[in-house]
Amino acid sequence: MAWLLRRVGISLALIWVVASIVFLAIHLVPGDPAELLLSQGGASPDPAIVADLRDQPILVQYADSLWRLLHFDLGHSMQDDSPVGDEIARRLPRTLELIVAAAILAVVVGIPAGTVAATRRGSVFDRIAGWLAGLSLAVPVFVVGTLLVMVFAQWLRWVPAGGYVAFATDPARHLLLLSMPAITIGLGLAAVMFRMTRAAVLDVMLKDYVRTARAKGVAPRRVLVRHVVRTALMPVVTVLALHMGTLLGGTVLVEYVFNWPGLSGLLVSAVNGRDYPEVVGIVLVISILFVALNLAVDILYGLLDPRVRRG
Amino acid sequence: MSRIPWPPILGFGAIVLLAVLAPVLPLPDPVTMDVAHRLAGPSLAHWLGQDEFGRDVLTRLLWGARVSLSVAFAASAIACVAGVALGVAGGFLRGIVEILALRSIDVLLCFPPLLLALLVVTLAGPGAATLVPVLALVYLPGFTRVAYAGVLTARSQDYVEAMRVLGAGKGRIMLRTILPNIGGPVLVQFSLSAAAAVVLESGLSFLGLGVVPPAPSWGLMIGAARATMTQAPLLLLWPCAALTLTILAMNALCDGLRDAVDPHPAYRPPGRRWLDRLTPGLLPATRAVLDLRGLTVRIDTPDGHFEPVRDVTLHIDAGETLALVGESGSGKSLTSLAISGLLPGAARVVAGSARLDGTDLLALPEEALRRLRGGAMAMIFQDPSSSLNPVHRVGEQIAEAIRAHRPKAPAATEAITLLKRVGIPDPAARARAFPHELSGGMRQRVMIAIAIANAPRLLIADEPTTALDVTIQAQVLDLLADLKRERGLALLFVTHSLPVVAEIADRVAVMYAGEIVEQGATAEVFARPLHPYTAALLRSAPDEEGPPPEGIPGVVPPPFDLPKGCVFAPRCVHRAPACDAARPKLATLPDGRQTSCLRWREL
Repeated sequence: MAWLLRRVGISLALIWVVASIVFLAIHLVPGDPAELLLSQGGASPDPAIVADLRDQPILVQYADSLWRLLHFDLGHSMQDDSPVGDEIARRLPRTLELIVAAAILAVVVGIPAGTVAATRRGSVFDRIAGWLAGLSLAVPVFVVGTLLVMVFAQWLRWVPAGGYVAFATDPARHLLLLSMPAITIGLGLAAVMFRMTRAAVLDVMLKDYVRTARAKGVAPRRVLVRHVVRTALMPVVTVLALHMGTLLGGTVLVEYVFNWPGLSGLLVSAVNGRDYPEVVGIVLVISILFVALNLAVDILYGLLDPRVRRG
Repeated sequence: MSRIPWPPILGFGAIVLLAVLAPVLPLPDPVTMDVAHRLAGPSLAHWLGQDEFGRDVLTRLLWGARVSLSVAFAASAIACVAGVALGVAGGFLRGIVEILALRSIDVLLCFPPLLLALLVVTLAGPGAATLVPVLALVYLPGFTRVAYAGVLTARSQDYVEAMRVLGAGKGRIMLRTILPNIGGPVLVQFSLSAAAAVVLESGLSFLGLGVVPPAPSWGLMIGAARATMTQAPLLLLWPCAALTLTILAMNALCDGLRDAVDPHPAYRPPGRRWLDRLTPGLLPATRAVLDLRGLTVRIDTPDGHFEPVRDVTLHIDAGETLALVGESGSGKSLTSLAISGLLPGAARVVAGSARLDGTDLLALPEEALRRLRGGAMAMIFQDPSSSLNPVHRVGEQIAEAIRAHRPKAPAATEAITLLKRVGIPDPAARARAFPHELSGGMRQRVMIAIAIANAPRLLIADEPTTALDVTIQAQVLDLLADLKRERGLALLFVTHSLPVVAEIADRVAVMYAGEIVEQGATAEVFARPLHPYTAALLRSAPDEEGPPPEGIPGVVPPPFDLPKGCVFAPRCVHRAPACDAARPKLATLPDGRQTSCLRWREL
């Protein structure tokens, strides 16, 4: 289990470095941070915060911010003085829900389609699926989202154009509202899953141990499931996890298009209002989740491939 | 390097050209407003209509392309130069520079790209001037990784080592050998970054955090058109279409570049397998376990086809070992794969029959062939470390072979018995091991256990000892010989090693350039070869007592460029004019030996 401890250690170190960089980024911007805040407009800052920014030596502030971070205290918003942590805690699950829903869609569509395309390489299905994947990858998410709104909400009027209702209030409407942004994100992700799965399956099908399995007389479906897909899924899982991590900050556009009150929407308004504590808080939370996700991938990799556990 | 297909080049070229020419084209000004005609549809003066401020949509589209592409290219160029410099420095100077370069990249990669961009925009404010460094920062790690990997590969190459030995300075080596070598992957990375940068730029502009109005940008146009979606849906479609088409063209260009840089040839699906079932039926049947006649294998390539295995005929009786011997590329492995129906995708059998106890394997449908594979016919391959699945326990891999043919058998117990039979100590514990926990010799024993799991009639061993060291080799050969005697197996032993042939084979078939050139009892062939190639092969093998080994002059002709006459003639010291006239047939001598040499009597 030394392997696991080492990985956790590296992840913790990365989180510390990220926190330090975010702190430095704010303080190393040319000029007095306090003046910068005032001169850039946005919200009128709390005089106490400005005083803190001015008077404390930078190292004290650094130690202080790390100390508060250890206690999950992310400070207060400059706009309404509410605790940043509370707002993040309220919105983060909504963003995660969106990402998970999109990932489920992508896995359910992309992995089987990629496997079939690989086993029937060059077939009509392979070509059409490959072409569709290329198209989905070329259309940016906010274009997909905007076009979906135009077609399904404005013209056909099947779904509302956007918004959010808590699951507890109205489960059916919650899922209906979730479907459009989830499909928007899931489409591009499914295309990535399709391409990765197809390439990985094609690659693994050429492996010697797949030939061995066939030489044993194992039935084709079993060869595919036990020997090909099982191994091929490793890079696919990695890519999925990395993309989910990217989506943590990347749902901004979709949340904006569908008016989904997630974490990213908060980030945009914080950026617009130059609300430093809020921006820093969100960036930190997302980055920590991102690092944690990478750690989870590594652990999963260790479970899937016994060779990794050694190294 | 293959060519890049022209449609993406043409498409992307047109977009770039329009963007470059936008200021000189006879178009209205992109920022002049005409509020009286806001949201007007297409007209002669405004081909694509007017936007919510009455500005000309076509002009703004073209100027938008200008902004998008210049931001994307500038950012990618900066990322490329800085990233490659960092990667090359890290890979080449090693030490502290390497650690710093790689760790800083790791840290950058801790931020999702859009998040990183937003963080910088918060600090520096929106606008095209911020966008360029932001996007450069986002795409820098990709270049560093590509360059670093390229340097690591290049520095281990012999010619780089050679330059170092010759005393060339580090800078010189870097400029002369490494940079040209990573050019291809870096170019691909550049195209990927530029395409991604167009997407990210438009996304940020869409949010109002990228290009600042009134400057034209596709993202801004889409964002603005959302408000008037119901009145003027076309206004939304134009920039969406422009953006999508641009990215499609750029992606296609990326794929084309990647294919052009990638040395692997494109795949072509094989044609229908055609079998000649007539000839063997006309000949009297033998009691051989394996009776292979006239086997010809064809490989299709984009530039035509060639036949790496031609007209191969051989047979193996029960309890007999036939060694199929030849140099690399002689077609011996393809022959064994053709018998088992495991030929790689591009290769197919075009003629011949392979009867296993009377059943023609080459005419069987895949499902029936599968039931024979691992059952009546088993295989052992060259490299046991890659032939066992790394993620399954070895006992399970043996049990799988048993279950594939005898679903009701106590597979787990039998697997342990088999491990014991192939000489693995503590078999019950070893059954739970993963392949990487065993030594090479052990792994090959596991492969043998898999092969004999269902009491096969025919065992095909393709270079089973080549990947093992000499002492282990001898043990594995002993095991195979024991099994052959014990179970009356017919053993087809494919190898390039003559000492191994002498040790294990009853008869030997010598293959050269896709043909059998000589066949006979091992002792006789070794004592009195009837083909100059066999003789040369024997002379080239090291022998403790005999004269020092001699090489064979020349090389094996490639299968797509064979001589018209005898395939060995170009390298043969006994070559006569008749040898070049026509391809000689394999002749059977009264004592049963075979040779394709025309002059065997004289020699």
